[in-house]
Formats: sequence, structure tokens, C-alpha cells
Amino acid sequence: MGASEHLSKQFEAELEAIRSRVLEMGGLVESQIRRALDGFNSGDRATLDDVIATDHRVNAMEVALDGDCSQVIVKRQPAANDLRLIIAIIKTVTDLERIGDEARKIARMAKNIHERGSVLAPPVVEVRHAAERAISMLRRTLDAFARLDCNAAAEVIRADAGIDAEFGAILRQLITYMMEDPRTISTALEIVWVAKAIERIGDHAKNMAEYVIYIVKGTDVRHTGAVTIEP
Amino acid sequence: MSPVYRSTLVSLAGLAAVAVIAWAAAGAAPGLSVFAAGLLALLVYHVRHLARFGRWVSHPAQGKVPEGAGSWDEVLAALHRFEREAAKREEMLADALARFRRAAQALPDGVVMLDADNRIEWCNDNAAAMLDLDPRADTGRPIANLVREPAFIDYLAAPNHDSMPAVRATAAQGVVLALQLIPYGESQKLLLCRDVTQAERVETMRRDFVANVSHELRTPLTVLVGFLETVRELKLDPSRVRDYLGMMREQASRMHRIIEDLLTLSVLESAPPPPADRVRMAPLLERLRADASSLSAGRHAISLQGSASVDLLGSEEELSSAFGNLVSNAIRYTPPGGRVSIVWSEGPDGVSFTVEDTGMGIAPEHIPRLTERFYRVDRSRSRETGGTGLGLAIVKHAVARHQATLEVDSKLGAGSRFTVRFPPQRMMPVEPLQSRQEN
Repeated sequence: MGASEHLSKQFEAELEAIRSRVLEMGGLVESQIRRALDGFNSGDRATLDDVIATDHRVNAMEVALDGDCSQVIVKRQPAANDLRLIIAIIKTVTDLERIGDEARKIARMAKNIHERGSVLAPPVVEVRHAAERAISMLRRTLDAFARLDCNAAAEVIRADAGIDAEFGAILRQLITYMMEDPRTISTALEIVWVAKAIERIGDHAKNMAEYVIYIVKGTDVRHTGAVTIEP
Repeated sequence: MSPVYRSTLVSLAGLAAVAVIAWAAAGAAPGLSVFAAGLLALLVYHVRHLARFGRWVSHPAQGKVPEGAGSWDEVLAALHRFEREAAKREEMLADALARFRRAAQALPDGVVMLDADNRIEWCNDNAAAMLDLDPRADTGRPIANLVREPAFIDYLAAPNHDSMPAVRATAAQGVVLALQLIPYGESQKLLLCRDVTQAERVETMRRDFVANVSHELRTPLTVLVGFLETVRELKLDPSRVRDYLGMMREQASRMHRIIEDLLTLSVLESAPPPPADRVRMAPLLERLRADASSLSAGRHAISLQGSASVDLLGSEEELSSAFGNLVSNAIRYTPPGGRVSIVWSEGPDGVSFTVEDTGMGIAPEHIPRLTERFYRVDRSRSRETGGTGLGLAIVKHAVARHQATLEVDSKLGAGSRFTVRFPPQRMMPVEPLQSRQEN
């Protein structure tokens, strides 16, 4: 009895440590996006280069966390809640790594845009606004994951539609710019990529929020349309 | 001898005496049975008290120590006293703790108490608001799970954070926080967080200002030095030299204007509040219109709408320079053929001075920063038109000294409207006509 209790305590601690590291990775990814967008707004080369260079840290964390999760599965053979947590973590880590890639993509595009020297100011304000929303979604998802809070997760899932709508609006504006003045096309295309990356960040955050619900409720709410969470 | 022993011995002795009397009176059997019955009664008495005591001990409710009789009474009374004192001590401790928490709650900074594993033990409301924590539900959660800034995680993991400076973290809505860990007790830590958004912004503004001043002054100087060298090195015909000297003069007067504007700004910033003199608005408005016409030289349609039936209280020099700046901006940024209107309107809740143009307009992202020193929407264009980059900063300061506000309303490509609104206490009815003529 004593031995198994000791083992389960150790197991608990291991899971807790993995969860903390996922959140640490989330924090790193969030700061990556934030800095990429700061660079996109200000054109600061040093920041953008640093974002691109730091991406390998995100990737390394993904690999390490995946390894730890397989270790736990092999060693502890978790069941029920714990197994769901591990599965959700493996998926969350993948989404986080993708968000890291999107941050790097934004940094690359921002470098291109600023090296060329922008011809005029296409809808940068809207892009910034969408980005703020995406960052806030990611932040709230990570909070929901830390607190295992279903309601907060459901809110994030609903917020995703807003970002998708903003992406559509940015696209329409860019098309007008491009039609008016063909010199803006290359810059506008790069801004499309940035906006698309932001929209993808929102999607990944939504996925992660769905995993939070999966951990807590054990129900899979992916592709089910409207999310209703009873307390 | 302890009172418990004494009272037990006394009751046993009494019982024995009764038994002996019974024996003597009625024989051995009744005597012994009286003794046995007495012992049984004593046993029942003790067992009942023990059971009540046992019940209380397993659920010790405050102030509910059971009462007893005989020897139990003394013991339970002592326990009762002890329990009352303990309750009082506990209350004092709770009170001290509550006082301490109230003190920590009242601190302007955010305070989070962390245990040895960096889990949240307690946080005040400020910390909860700044770090987006839930003071109740987040107790016991690792702080690193909720404050995930990489710089902070590294700081938390560093072995000697007490000697390290505070780290910056970005919270929601671009708020910048300074986070500092202070170890206390065995291995607990205190996390202090302060909102440094404003300080950070001031620092950026100061840095930008120094860089901008240097840049703005260097540009004309470079041109000047270039011409000076050309004139000195090459043999030029006098008319060319005169041209160059003209251009040099232009650059020199540009530097002169910048320095004048900087001095004006520093005076506005440090001078005592403006005098409450009467500023006659009707002639001032007329003068602004005349200045606008001469600056525009017939390229714009200039109109003055509204007539002044009240005057303002303040410094005429500051107000006319502020209004003049707005008017000259409107003319400089409106292409020929456009309209510039100066509008004066009066109402019960104050008066307003508005300059409206049909110029190129300002994109929304620039509007909040327009009154920053040397902030330029379009770097090349505004210098072309001879602006120093300080005009709107001067306007903002001058009107703020008169408790007025500057509102900017603009649409890219359609035009801009700058409105200065004065509160009623700055208004004064116009003096009768005669006295004005006397002056």
C-alpha cells in the first residue's frame, strides 16, 4: 500500500512537471509572436532576427516534451484522466510548435516588407488588431489549460470566428489596394501571409482549447459546431 | 495530593463507612451489597463523564467543553479555561494575520506570496489584476504556469534572484510589468509586480526626443557645411555664390526656428500658469484669417465662420501662437484649390475654436502620436513644407495651460478637423463697444 502510494505521488509530480513545461513552452511561443508583431510594426531588424533564431528553442521543447510523454506512457501506463491529459499534451505541444512556426513566418515576412520599404500603408492597423486578438486567445487558452477551466476554453473556441472574419476583411482591403496600385502587390501579398499566419494562430489556439475540454470532460468537441459547456 | 485522588478517597471512605454501618446493622451480605452498589454508582459516574469528554475531544467545538460534577468538574473547568485562552490567542493571531493582509492589500504594488515550490500562497488584488490571477482558485498553483513570460521563468529558475534586477513582462493590452522576487523566511518568496508602462513610455519618449533633436539639427547643418566647403574650395561666379548663400540662409533660419520652438516649448512646460488676461477674440480671429490669406496667397478658399460674443481669459501670446499653428498647418497640408475654414462656436458648456481643411488627412494610427515632438506622419513631406515638427506639441501645451483640450478628427484623403475646446470658466462676455473703442 505504502509503496504504491509513493509511486502514485511520484507519477503525479511527473505529470505536474510536464504540464508546467508545456505552459513554459506556451509562454515562449507567446513572446515569440508578440516580438514578431512588434518587429512587423516597427521594422526593428534585431528583434526579427532574434525571433527567427529563437524558433529552434521552441522546436527543441516540442521534441523533449514528446519524449517525456512517451516515457510516462511506457513507464506508468496511465489510464483514464491521466491518459487523457498525456494525449492532450502531445497534441497541444504540436499546435504550440506550429504557432512558433507562424511566428517565425511573420518575422520573415516583416523583414521582407521593411527591407523593401513599404510603398504605402495597407491595412496594418487591422492586422495589428487581429494579432492582438490572436495573442489574447492564446493567452486565455494557456490560462484555461493551467486551471483546467472548461468555460474559459469554450470562450476561446467561440472567439475564433472573430479572427476568421477579420482575416476576410483584411483580404478584401488588400485586394482593393492591389487593384488600385499594382506597385503594392508584393507588399500586399506578404501582408496576406502575415494575416494568414495570425488567422492560423487563432485556429491552433482553438484546437488547444478543445483539448482542454477533452482533458476535463472527456468529450471530443472537435468539428461539432457550437460548443455548449454545462458547468 | 491531587484533588482527584483526594475526592476519590473521600467518596471511597464514605462508602466504606456506610457499608460498615450496614454490615453492623444487617449483617455481611447487605453490607457488601451496599458497598458493591456504591462502587457501581461511582463507575457509572466516571464512565458517563469519560464518554462525554471523549465525544467533545473527537469534535472539539469552541465553548462546548462539557460540564461535570464532583471531581470531573474541576478537571473540566480547567480544560474550559485553557480552551478559552486558546481561542483568544487564535483570535489574536487571526486578527494579526488579517491586519497584515489588509496592509499587503493596501500596497500600490502587486504582491504574491510564493512557497518553496513557487506555488501561489496568497496574492493581493493588485497582483491579481496585473497578472490576471484568481486570488481564490489559483492558490496552490505554480506561479510559472500562469505567468509564462520566458524572461520571468528564467528569473524564477535562477539560483540567486535576490541579487538580480527586476524583469519586464508584457501583460494583456500592452501593459509592461516589472517583476521582482524577494526571498523571505525559510525558502518562501515574495513576488512584487509594478506597472511600469508609463515609465517605459516616458523613457522611450526621452530617447526618441534626444535622437530627434540631434537629427533635426544635423540635417540643416550638413547642408550648411556642404555649401561652405563648396564656396571655399571652388572658384564660383558671384551669382552662384549668392544663390548658395541664400540657401545657406534658409537652412540657418530653419535651425533657428527649431531652436525657437524648443525654447517656446520649454517655457510652456516650466512657466507658471498663464495670466487671466482678457484675450479679445473678434480681432484675433480676424487676424488669423488675414494671416491665413497671406500664407495661402490665394491658393485656398479661406473662410471664417461664427462671430465672437465672448472673449477668453488667458495669455494672448500663447493662444494666438496655438491658433496660428493650427491654421498654418491646415494651409500647408491642403493642396491648392482646397478649403480651409476657421470656425468659432459658443455654447453654454464652453467655446470651441476649430480649423477644418479639405487636405490630405491623417491615418488613424498617427492621430494619437501627432502631438509628440518631432513626430512626422510623412518625413519627407513635412520638412519640405518647412515645419519644425514641434507645432502641435506647442499647441497641445499651450491649450492645456488654459484647461482646454485639443481634439483631432481626420479621414485619410478627405481632410482634418482640429478643435480646441475651452471650459466655461475661461469665458468672459465682450466688453461694451464704447470701452473697446476707447482702448
